[in-house]
Amino acid sequence: MQSLMTQKNKDLLLRIGKQWAVIFFVAELIFFGLTAKGFFTVNTFQIVLFFGTAIMLMAVGELFVIITGGIDLSVGYVMGLSSIVSTKLIVAFAGSGLPELGAILLGILITLVLGLIPGMINGLLISRLNVPPFIATFSMLGISHGVSELLITEGAAKNLPHMANVIGNGHFLYFAQESGFSFFVRPEVARGVKVFELLPNVVVMTFILVAIFAFVLKRTVFGVHTYAIGGNEDSAVRSGINVKNHIMKIYMLSSFLAASAGVIYMLKYVTGKADAGASLLLDSIAAVVIGGASLSGGSGTVWKAILGAVIIAVLETGLRILGIPTFDKYIMVGVILIFAVLIDQVFPETTYKDKE
Amino acid sequence: MRKGLILVMVLLMAFSMSAQLFAGGQQEAADDEITMLFMPGVADPFYYVMEKGIVAKGEELGVNIIVAEFPKAWGPEVQVPILEATVAQGGIDMILIAPTAIDALISPLKKLYDQGIEIITVDTYLGDGDYSKDSDYSFPLSYIGSDNEKGGREMAAHLCEMIGGEGKVYINSTNPDVSSVMGRVKGFKEGIEAFPEVELVGVDYNMDVQQKATDQTLAALQKDPDIAGIFGTNLYSSQGAYQAVVNAGLVGAVKIATWDASVDIINALKKGQIDLVLAQKPFEIGSLAVEWGYKFFTEGTEIPAKVIPGFEFFDSENVNDPDMEQFIYK
Amino acid sequence: MKGNLNLIIEESRTLKAIARNWAFCFLIFFIVIFSFTGKGFLSIVNFQNIIHLSVIAIFMAAAETFVIITGGIDLSVGFVMGLSSVTAGKIIQILFAAGNLSVGAILLTGSVIALVVSLIPGLISGIMIARFKVPPFIATLGMWGITNGIALKICKGFPVASLPDELTKIGNGYTIYYKEGSGISWFSLPAGIANDQIREYLRLIPISFILLFIVIFILRHILNNTTFGQHTYAIGGNEDAAIRSGINVQKHLIKIYMLSSFIAGMAGVFNVFQTGIGNFTTFGAMYELFAVAAVVIGGASLLGGKGRLLASVVGVLLIAVLENGLLISGVEPFYRYIAVGLLLILAIVIDQLFPDLF
Repeated sequence: MQSLMTQKNKDLLLRIGKQWAVIFFVAELIFFGLTAKGFFTVNTFQIVLFFGTAIMLMAVGELFVIITGGIDLSVGYVMGLSSIVSTKLIVAFAGSGLPELGAILLGILITLVLGLIPGMINGLLISRLNVPPFIATFSMLGISHGVSELLITEGAAKNLPHMANVIGNGHFLYFAQESGFSFFVRPEVARGVKVFELLPNVVVMTFILVAIFAFVLKRTVFGVHTYAIGGNEDSAVRSGINVKNHIMKIYMLSSFLAASAGVIYMLKYVTGKADAGASLLLDSIAAVVIGGASLSGGSGTVWKAILGAVIIAVLETGLRILGIPTFDKYIMVGVILIFAVLIDQVFPETTYKDKE
Repeated sequence: MRKGLILVMVLLMAFSMSAQLFAGGQQEAADDEITMLFMPGVADPFYYVMEKGIVAKGEELGVNIIVAEFPKAWGPEVQVPILEATVAQGGIDMILIAPTAIDALISPLKKLYDQGIEIITVDTYLGDGDYSKDSDYSFPLSYIGSDNEKGGREMAAHLCEMIGGEGKVYINSTNPDVSSVMGRVKGFKEGIEAFPEVELVGVDYNMDVQQKATDQTLAALQKDPDIAGIFGTNLYSSQGAYQAVVNAGLVGAVKIATWDASVDIINALKKGQIDLVLAQKPFEIGSLAVEWGYKFFTEGTEIPAKVIPGFEFFDSENVNDPDMEQFIYK
Repeated sequence: MKGNLNLIIEESRTLKAIARNWAFCFLIFFIVIFSFTGKGFLSIVNFQNIIHLSVIAIFMAAAETFVIITGGIDLSVGFVMGLSSVTAGKIIQILFAAGNLSVGAILLTGSVIALVVSLIPGLISGIMIARFKVPPFIATLGMWGITNGIALKICKGFPVASLPDELTKIGNGYTIYYKEGSGISWFSLPAGIANDQIREYLRLIPISFILLFIVIFILRHILNNTTFGQHTYAIGGNEDAAIRSGINVQKHLIKIYMLSSFIAGMAGVFNVFQTGIGNFTTFGAMYELFAVAAVVIGGASLLGGKGRLLASVVGVLLIAVLENGLLISGVEPFYRYIAVGLLLILAIVIDQLFPDLF
């Protein structure tokens, strides 16, 4: 069969193989565009991105870890823990007399700093004590779950200032026929008048974080070292990289992004919940793998991981508009995941080319 | 490859922008009958019965009913995406929703309210459920549903009488995160205070895993072998507790009370596995919501801000009573 | 310090045995502690309960032990169990409602079909892992999603209920019922016992123990005394060497994942007998992760080549005793997640400190 294939066909196939995620994405859009009523609207795309924020953030964190050849199982429950911690902190600050916005910002800031701790512990265990990443991060999953539940047995993480809900569900830009463009604040118009709402705040925040970490991975020494460790840890050590420190930073980064996902969850749903991200573990790893990264490390890019996350988010939203129970989503994500890896096996060059 | 991707995204955005304008024009034209969207809280028999009440009333009055996907878990992070995706179809006049959080649903629903859609909350509510006074969450027309704390208190009274007004009771609940379930627990705790001889020995949370409920109840029975009554706050809790009671060989000696009269629970009651069942009235809640909504649109009737149907209690004596048949969730 | 400790341990056989079986020592230690802190902890009935409720976790850990010895991992066991449980439940429900067959035949049909169905996920992941070199983590994670979705579709998101009562009578029955004065009664309470007399009977040897012992005995025999078992260790120790020595590694790996999936299926069927309803697996249950944890606590290495079946069982019991003891001692239930996490880290650290002992 190999001999029947001309060089040209082979190139074409390779190209398709390399871009299959993009092709799948476009096919998905066309399918839902044709079948789901009201799918091709700005609103629907914003919904996709709005609900995809957590998967995107966690996928980027998971990507860094996976590039180094590790895995982080704790992200889902770290996200839950940080949603609870941020809620409790903000409620406490607001209760102590700080203005709402100040309390929210301070609470978020402290949560993000605290969010580094689980990652630091993971990193220490993995890099200094040689605990396999699977075990270290699973222990952390249990510990963050336990701590979360303990925090809420004394009282649910609730009663956030209303402003949190306004920020979490607000948009960056509004446009109404009569009042023109306005930023952050919804123009006062009569009820029922059409207001275009563009760029949800949480999506803007997510994109900023994603862009920063995409830059870090692609253009900085930190990124180069990350790929180097994943490619071959021994030679990374020989070339003078402080691998232990680097690994620790990577897990802190992943935990930080999970914590930001928790903060965004808190803003969107004004509650903290222990299992806020429990079901997102499969999604985030799937997004990274669909984006072409290999679990043995050394390959993957942020943009492709985001594409993987968007593919899953579109699938979910599209199925919902069609009214198909999301049970099917699990099946399809599972199938796509396996498909992604199989394609990787059939077109092995794809991963190498992406490393450049 | 990235350039290509961005190009595709930009093209799609441009295409979708133009599509939205067309879609906007079409919707208004085809809108002469009333369309109501039912957004349930979670996939369980309670909301299925409510759906039946809504659909039946909708057919009777000629109201077009859309039923959103039943969320597979309780929580705004599951419900809000379904709500938004379903509303994105357009053409909806009223939303009958069981909000899965008292605060998280305020902004998403306010946004829809501002677009001109009317809101009625069923079974659960926003804020403190009082829409008559002015507040961030007073925009829904009405709250139609049960009072979980009151139900918990009545449940406590029934169970305490059943065990003869003295002894130890134990609660197996699902998840401290869920407000309705916590309301039941809170009400129950208040209710047993009226019985000084009854002692509450513990509350465990099984996180919706039945096996956990069994483990926990068995441990509780091991610690206090003379527990006389157990309150399981939902199907998982009560079935798990029942398994533990079977395991400890205490069937009949320990009374089990539970919430929501699904067919399975009623069967268990008939078999003597469970002793007391509280039934809410989901069918009535559903049909009332549609009726009030319809009157609001057609006659401009003012809807009362709070409508609360009561409860019914099933036990081994009245379970075969034909009058009670209507309260089973089928 | 590490060197010194190793040296001391080298010299003492007892210490060596303790370090090798630290999980078992911990188990004894916890039992002693909880006997003091927990009212009613130290009793035959409680220990019976702990084991009876751990049967599923023990099956899962047994399945995971085989896979982990080959250097793989099976994340799908929890949801395969759910799939098997709802499949068995659904079939029994349909046949029971039709009412044409005897209850025994219904239960047998449901169980057998569920067991056969549960071979499929393992076959698929096995083929992907062995033939297409898909990493086990991904292949079984994909299966995790697929089996979960199918299970939820079968049961529409509800536990499958209204099944015959015989299920729980078998699943939760005891072999011996004993009361001082009125003697022993086999397999069921004597007829006509009043509610207030129920507490007076002592129950011994749950029926589930018989199943558990048979299954564990067979699996242990396979792992320790057959060529299948030897090949399993060989593949995990060094796959290349295994291939060179003529083992059909691909075929063997497929069998391993089918075996793992089958044991998970057995857990699912047992689950129906234990609870009387077909349960889908919820996200919060995390059976697969706790199974892996138990196996690692039992001393297996995720790199493969190492692991003992009975040690994995001890791992499960350690977690179970810890949970039960904490519950009975009245500790806030959520500390157990933390406790399991710490235990797991401890397991690895001990493994790191004494790498040569195993």
